[in-house]
Amino acid sequence: MERILKQRDRLLAESARLIGLTSTVVAFLLLVLGGMTLPALLLALPFFALLAGAQVRMGQTKAVEWPIATIVLGLAAVILLRCEAAGAFTGWTGLAGTAELPLPLADAMRVLTSGAIAAAAVLLTISLGRMLVLVGAFAVTMIVVVVVFAGQTLLGLAALSTIAGWSGLVAAGAVLSAGLLRAARRVSSIGRAHRSERQASETEAQRRQGARLLHDTVLATLTLLAHSGVGVSRDALRRQAGDDARLLRQLRLSASPLSVVSGPSADDEGTSDGATADPGDSLESVRQRFERLGLEVSWHGATSVSLPPQKLDRFLLALGECLENVRRHSGVKEAHVTITDDETTVRALVTDNGVGFEPAAVPAGKLGYRESIVARLTEMGGNARVFSAQGSGTTVVLEVPR
Amino acid sequence: MTVAPEQDVAVASILAPRRAHRTATADRDDVVRRLPALRLPRAEAGPRPARTSLGTGFLGIAATIMAVLLLCFDIGRFAFEWRSYPAPGLAALAWLLLAGLLVGLAFASRSAGDTLSPWIGGALVGGLGGVVALDALAVWGGGDLARDLTAAPATALVLLAMVGVRSSRSVILAAGGLGLVLAVLVLASWAGSPVPEGGLESAVAMIGRAVLPPVIAALIVHSFRRIVGRELERVLVQSTVSAPRFAVGMLASEELARLDLAAEQLLDSVATGRTRLPLNPASAQAAAELATELRLHLIEGRRQTWLYHAISESELLGRAVTLSDPESLAGLLDPKQRDALLQAVWLMLGDTPERSRRSATRVAIEITVGPAKPVEGKAKTMRVPIVIQTTGVARSRVDPATWDAMRKVGRHIDSQRGGSLCVEIDCVVEKPAER
Repeated sequence: MERILKQRDRLLAESARLIGLTSTVVAFLLLVLGGMTLPALLLALPFFALLAGAQVRMGQTKAVEWPIATIVLGLAAVILLRCEAAGAFTGWTGLAGTAELPLPLADAMRVLTSGAIAAAAVLLTISLGRMLVLVGAFAVTMIVVVVVFAGQTLLGLAALSTIAGWSGLVAAGAVLSAGLLRAARRVSSIGRAHRSERQASETEAQRRQGARLLHDTVLATLTLLAHSGVGVSRDALRRQAGDDARLLRQLRLSASPLSVVSGPSADDEGTSDGATADPGDSLESVRQRFERLGLEVSWHGATSVSLPPQKLDRFLLALGECLENVRRHSGVKEAHVTITDDETTVRALVTDNGVGFEPAAVPAGKLGYRESIVARLTEMGGNARVFSAQGSGTTVVLEVPR
Repeated sequence: MTVAPEQDVAVASILAPRRAHRTATADRDDVVRRLPALRLPRAEAGPRPARTSLGTGFLGIAATIMAVLLLCFDIGRFAFEWRSYPAPGLAALAWLLLAGLLVGLAFASRSAGDTLSPWIGGALVGGLGGVVALDALAVWGGGDLARDLTAAPATALVLLAMVGVRSSRSVILAAGGLGLVLAVLVLASWAGSPVPEGGLESAVAMIGRAVLPPVIAALIVHSFRRIVGRELERVLVQSTVSAPRFAVGMLASEELARLDLAAEQLLDSVATGRTRLPLNPASAQAAAELATELRLHLIEGRRQTWLYHAISESELLGRAVTLSDPESLAGLLDPKQRDALLQAVWLMLGDTPERSRRSATRVAIEITVGPAKPVEGKAKTMRVPIVIQTTGVARSRVDPATWDAMRKVGRHIDSQRGGSLCVEIDCVVEKPAER
């Protein structure tokens, strides 16, 4: 809010400067074109220059001095013009005093009182104190107008245009100020909408990025297709493509962030079940699922783990991914999982007696292991370590802090 | 246990430098163009176009009311001088047409909402030309158009009423055109006879009174729109401060969804036999590119922070700010620090007028985050130095609020480097969980 008030002040100041300077220039132009003598113009010039200077400063700073200076200098210029017209400086300017004000001079004075001076009014609407200044300044200006146009036929017109100029500019200031605050309110509600849109987008991206194993197999199939399916039977490739397309469709149609990982659980690519709040159930469901898929998992140690739901989700997902890797790549049908659960850490040891592999030989950027297991755990401060060698089985330690 | 061995695609490209969203969008178009056979579904909603007219409808109504008041004043003056007209009927017709145009404008802008179509705007300006012609015909015999024209200079009031619903540029152009036409008419009416007494002065007064109000109003509305546009951009970018340490941008999920859908369609068509195996070279190439894109997008966002997205999503920041944050440390800043950092950068940029940003010495800011240093005796926090090196920002011109904002980010030291401000902020953040 503070920001927008600052912006508003600047907008008003710049508007006041623009209106004021334009009027000052027009007033001077009218004098030049209206047949003033050169000395008379030269006499008026410093006043106009000072007035313009005050107006420029008025557009740059917030201080109330400059609008006031603008009004005072403007009134001084008006009075000077009236004196010149009355013949006060005849000896020097060559202007003889006339009873009736020359029209160009009167016009210039009108432009000053209703434009150049009144421009300050734009800035005098933003606080109560300034409004008091505004009322005072308007009163003084009107008095000066009445005095300098006293006895002239143009008095009525001059007074009217001064009143019109001041009220118009006060209204303009108020409208600009109200309009900007109104727009700012609307902008901030757009901002709120945008924030929730961003969160939704973030969640959706995470959901899709979280479906890592699914993407692993999709990428593999795409790569096979890119190599025109060389070395794979067409039927197998077609079946694989069909499976993947179905998984992607499930991903697309499922609504909840995690359901995709549990959705295709009956398939080849199922990972762990969507985590439920009950940890005993979750471990059991992981076991059952892999049993269905043909991997016998023996459980040791704690039969349940107590973790906050969010952490439990990820822990089980990582565990599921480990077992999935065992199922797919180890070449054995049995795995052991040992869960230990102490005050600070929940630990799972996944062991198999399969073919094993050389951890150092795995490229660092593999999606499967790094993204689906390590990333999931490190995101919540845990870690995963792999111990394996070619031909001597694999042990993975998963750790999650409480 | 073994790690997925069927994965054999090189990942070097994934580790290639991050690409801004704009490039990502361009790439998407590129893929679509190159793979017509695949019929990649297009992302439906592009980035939201900036509503530059936000809030100016209100100003437009105010301007219209003001125009109506001034018009009443001018009509009063015209009625007062009715008898001195050589052809008052024509002038009255001109006034009627003018009033009709103003009413038409009011209706059109009510129903058009925020912006008036160029056609209606053009038609209105054409109508104003008719008003000027009628009024000039009405007083042509009088000898001095500068004194006698009434409806013609008042046409500028319709332009004034238009500032809320048309671009400032078009209003200014129309007002300039009106000024030119008036000047030509006045000069033509003087042709062949000496310039009447005070004629020049009254001509300038008449034209100035006509042209200046819409021009000034248009300029003010222009600044208004700029402020609101800037505010809108700031608010949109600010939504990044609540993002997690690593975040995907606004377009990422859309992109990912689109790629997933493309893959689904390709695989489906293979499965159902619509696409014959083996694939023809073009389709195989398409599948390979799809896989690469998909891989890229699955990894994307893992190392990008809110600051990266804030900068790449904002037109203003994106143009002027470069970020170097190899360790993604900006993501560790808490929301308050992020907000303050954004605000400080925003203030440094925002204070320079539009003009100097376009000129040769354009304002630029380079933000370097890291490398992190430990804090002695504290295991849970660490220090992340942030260096903000500016080009073309003088210390004396910086908004004082910038320093308040900096203070919220951390302790800072400022200096001048090459005539421009350089700030080093020592930012204390919570250590992330071990990676």
